[in-house]
Amino acid sequence: MSGYQYLDVKLKLRDPDSVTLTPVFLCGCILNSLASIFGEIGGQTALEIVKFSSSQKRSIFRVPEAFLERVRIAISLIGYYQEEPCHFQVLSTSRKPLDFEEPDAEFIAFN
Amino acid sequence: MVRIKNRYIAVQIVPFTPTQSLRLNDNSLAKILLQNVEKYHGVYGLGMIEQGFRVKYINDRTKIAIIRCLHRGQRFVSSILPLITLIGDVRAKFRTLYIGATIIQCNKFIVKHQKQFLDRAMGQITSAKERQDLFKRVMELDMDR
Repeated sequence: MSGYQYLDVKLKLRDPDSVTLTPVFLCGCILNSLASIFGEIGGQTALEIVKFSSSQKRSIFRVPEAFLERVRIAISLIGYYQEEPCHFQVLSTSRKPLDFEEPDAEFIAFN
Repeated sequence: MVRIKNRYIAVQIVPFTPTQSLRLNDNSLAKILLQNVEKYHGVYGLGMIEQGFRVKYINDRTKIAIIRCLHRGQRFVSSILPLITLIGDVRAKFRTLYIGATIIQCNKFIVKHQKQFLDRAMGQITSAKERQDLFKRVMELDMDR
């Protein structure tokens, strides 16, 4: 039984004010990219969002270890978020649960 | 230099309602297959098989086709064949008959397969003329393309 990998992802937008950033839209953006690159068979994975901070535009995802490579490919190849040019930066990946650096910063946690 | 390895997949197209002709040519079948690969395996899968992909032979009457793809992309093609239910605008499915490394082996298999089919079908036909017609129809294999 393989474990999970945690990804710390930061979204960088050209014009940050013109989009609505919610955890669901962010997750959907990555899932769409996975589906277009790896299709209906290869792109189905349990991508879970663990923590999300709208002010830092950062979020922590949890994926099964076998899918880490594909998820990273899909994340790297995203060029648009809500028709706004953007790119994603993967700050770190780890087998242990990740967290944001500032403990007092606002975030939404999912369980 | 390394030799390019190909795989030849012999398939039979089984229409939902029995029809005489499928009105398919090699290009349209290749297009349908590539569309389905993109649907199920995405841009990555399409990129893996696009090089060297070709429908080498298709027979409208016997409904048998030979698809050529690269050895490394064979999995992408063979895995989507059972999932296809619509070919063009006809409801049909693919039956994978044989996967071979040379087209000659594929051809040999198809001849054998058609002979077996003839053996079964001949018993039910009484008149000699019908038998000859059936024989002609089933063993129609022109590999000039």
